[in-house]
Amino acid sequence: MVQFMNTVFNGVSLSSIILLTSLGLAITFGLMRVINMAHGEFLMIGAYMTYVVQNIFAKFLPESVFSLYYFVAILAAFAVTFLLGALMERFIISKLYGREIDSLLATWGISLILQQAARSIFGMQGVNVTAPSFLNGGLEIGGCTFSYNRLFILVMVVACMLLVWYIMYKSNFGKQMRAVMQNRSMAQCMGINSKKVDMITFSFGSGLAGIAGCSVALLGSIDSTIGQSYIVNSFIAVVLGGVGKLIGTVFGSSIIGFASIGIENYTSASIAKAAVLFIVIVVLQFRPQGLFTIKSRKLDE
Amino acid sequence: MIWKKQGYNICFAVIVLILALMPLFLSVGMISSSSFVLFIGKCMAYAIVAIGLDLIWGYTGILSLGHGLYFALGGYAMAMFLKLQATNGQITSFMQTGGMTELPLVWKPFLSTPLAMVLTIAVPAVLAGVIGYFIFRNRIKGVYFSIISQALTWAAYSLFTGLQSYTGGNVGITEITSIVGSIKGDANRAHMFTLFYASLAILVLIYMLSYYLTHKKFGKLLIAIRDGENRTYFSGYCVSRYKNFIYVLSAIFAAIAGAIFVNFNGSITPTQMTISYSITMVIWVAVGGRGTLVGAVIGAFLINLCDYSFSSGTMVEIWQYILGAIFVVTILFFKGGLVGIVRDQLPELTRKLKHKREAN
Amino acid sequence: MSEKVLEIKDITVDFDGFCALLNVNVNVKRHTIHFFIGPNGAGKTTLLDIICAKTKPTKGVCTFYPEGRGSVQLTGMKEYKIVGEGIGRKFQVPSVFVNLSVMENMILSLKGNKGVWQSIFFKLSKQDEETINEILETVDLMDKKDEKAGSLAHGQKQWLEIAMQLVQKPEIIMLDEPAAGMGKPETFKTGEILKKIKEICTIIVVEHDMDFVKQISDRVTVLHEGKVLIEGTCDEVLADETVQAVYLGRGGERNAEDN
Repeated sequence: MVQFMNTVFNGVSLSSIILLTSLGLAITFGLMRVINMAHGEFLMIGAYMTYVVQNIFAKFLPESVFSLYYFVAILAAFAVTFLLGALMERFIISKLYGREIDSLLATWGISLILQQAARSIFGMQGVNVTAPSFLNGGLEIGGCTFSYNRLFILVMVVACMLLVWYIMYKSNFGKQMRAVMQNRSMAQCMGINSKKVDMITFSFGSGLAGIAGCSVALLGSIDSTIGQSYIVNSFIAVVLGGVGKLIGTVFGSSIIGFASIGIENYTSASIAKAAVLFIVIVVLQFRPQGLFTIKSRKLDE
Repeated sequence: MIWKKQGYNICFAVIVLILALMPLFLSVGMISSSSFVLFIGKCMAYAIVAIGLDLIWGYTGILSLGHGLYFALGGYAMAMFLKLQATNGQITSFMQTGGMTELPLVWKPFLSTPLAMVLTIAVPAVLAGVIGYFIFRNRIKGVYFSIISQALTWAAYSLFTGLQSYTGGNVGITEITSIVGSIKGDANRAHMFTLFYASLAILVLIYMLSYYLTHKKFGKLLIAIRDGENRTYFSGYCVSRYKNFIYVLSAIFAAIAGAIFVNFNGSITPTQMTISYSITMVIWVAVGGRGTLVGAVIGAFLINLCDYSFSSGTMVEIWQYILGAIFVVTILFFKGGLVGIVRDQLPELTRKLKHKREAN
Repeated sequence: MSEKVLEIKDITVDFDGFCALLNVNVNVKRHTIHFFIGPNGAGKTTLLDIICAKTKPTKGVCTFYPEGRGSVQLTGMKEYKIVGEGIGRKFQVPSVFVNLSVMENMILSLKGNKGVWQSIFFKLSKQDEETINEILETVDLMDKKDEKAGSLAHGQKQWLEIAMQLVQKPEIIMLDEPAAGMGKPETFKTGEILKKIKEICTIIVVEHDMDFVKQISDRVTVLHEGKVLIEGTCDEVLADETVQAVYLGRGGERNAEDN
């Protein structure tokens, strides 16, 4: 029973991490159809921002407020990646709408640059952040320990989901955003500045990557390859869930998260990765468009 | 006129000529170190993968972000064969460290030379065939294919690093003597030249085969699939079969390239299987010029020559920035790569300049 | 003459709750020009999609009766096999292969074995070349033979696409708004081309332009909200009050004039 509980918790935890790293993608890739290969590097920037903010707090502020650094870091990470996303959209992505594969490759070039920048600034060695003190330890229920770290990430995922949901479906901007994504020319005719909407949407997705970066900073050491290690799962989660549907991403992440943990219990981590991918390909055999789909009448898009 | 019709082939012929003279340059001392010739040998392997990638990406529009997988599979197969030749079938040190007492079953066929040669190509080909069958059958295409190919490579990478006692883990298979014997040092120059010319011959053959394919109806179909996949279905073609065919072919090219690479490099590591290595291969094709075979070859040589020149000293860091920037700029402004610049953009520019001058 | 070549039986299509077609039954006769008309969203294009297997029907079957052979059930077949059986389709948006020359477009569309090996070792026979030239002559594209299809004018692309259908020697050609974006003279010319083609195959057309319908139709089926409203000759259909109410009365004819 204890082992089962642990497995479930690990599954939920991993799913939530994948979901958090996929949320931004679900917007940039899912809604805008832009494959941002530098999304992982935005995550990396978020993680490094956490490290930087932590160091600033440790150096200049009294120890009593040290734990608060993390919240500042979240805001800072969001702001920085939001800004970078905006720049990237403005100067690269916006030139490549309708050329999906090319935007994938161009953003890969950016990702090379960002990785090298991280190495130049922070060195080859990984750095670690000290988790805020209130995240030390864990919650004990019936012999299982649920670490606060991971519970906190769970809370962050829920918060981010709510934020995304609110912005997309409740806010005025969300209406404009959905209008532009569904029918660009029509939206333009209605007086929506679609360029601005594109830019903000993309930046928002990138900003979410920054927040995800803050949370993965709690899980282990940060180096220039941290983005790459999360991004593959995230892409697969979005594809599996069905591009364009947020709920699909939730399911996709959960399937990958639980399957990874489940299989890992019986074999090794590396075999689990391969097996999960196998499962994804099998699922796509039956639902090539992903689990949640939208039908289209276009012949060749 | 001949330039217009045969320009690409003439370019390729010039490249081959320069390559063929490399050993001569070395003999007369125009190139100081034999390691440069070895490096050029590796570049020929890169050019072969690049041709394969160009066939599926430039011509057919399938962007594989995982050709490193096939490259590495070919490399590992060749490496293990060479290793077993050198040790007379004894198990390798990493297998001993991994607690094995005899050669694992999967590597047993590599004791036989013909079988090893066949498997070097057959294993990647069959893998690509199976993957391609399931992916293309379901009309998974465009970026979705790219993402899945990337994930596959990633999974294979973690498998290869995880199964240490079979593959040498993170270290890979090292200290390999080439298929023609040792190529290190001046005493073994004859060996090196044999290997060099053999590889050059393979490169030429693969170029010719690809040229033939792209200039037949088959090649036109690849372009048709790139420009309108569904339309091609409605012209009565089973597009997925075509895609699978060309995908397998390019995987075979990658495997051959991997096998050649190992001979020159003397080792194979999981690095060759990573996603970033795979995408680097795409960079070669993009920079050289997608959709033309010679573009792929030029790109492979050029990027790697830069990489070679900047891989030491202070340039290392800057080179990474430059590489990223080159890539972004190529995609944004020079879709046709270098070949495209020479073919489309330069004539346009001269025409404009001429126009201006006439106007004045 | 009156033998049927295509039977559409009880076709129902349900797009996640939206019923695009409901129990549609139509028979198409050999060597006729059969029109499907109706207001937007009536399900015309969907019906073509069903016949050529771009969309799967929720219910019902389409059966094809090729000349001199038995019947072929189209529902459940792969689209490229349906093309092989002799049913061609031209799409609403001209979709030719823009980076290939007109000639290459035609070669790719030739009837024959379409396997991988066949296309690797393909050589254009004298006879095929003549056929292609003949068809290009019909659609007035002979002098554009070596030009890239992408550089053709809109109307020429439409004709090229029709030519690509012809060279496949199909028994049925389906055309989705062949006159869309064409001027009056071009439309008329397209009609004359189709009349000529009728001799060798059956033509199914989806079109809005009522003049075009009047010019060449043998039989007209009016679809409305996924159902067959009426079927008959052009005059019969035009005389029907319901048709006038749901379609023509809503400005169908006037729109057609604008085109």
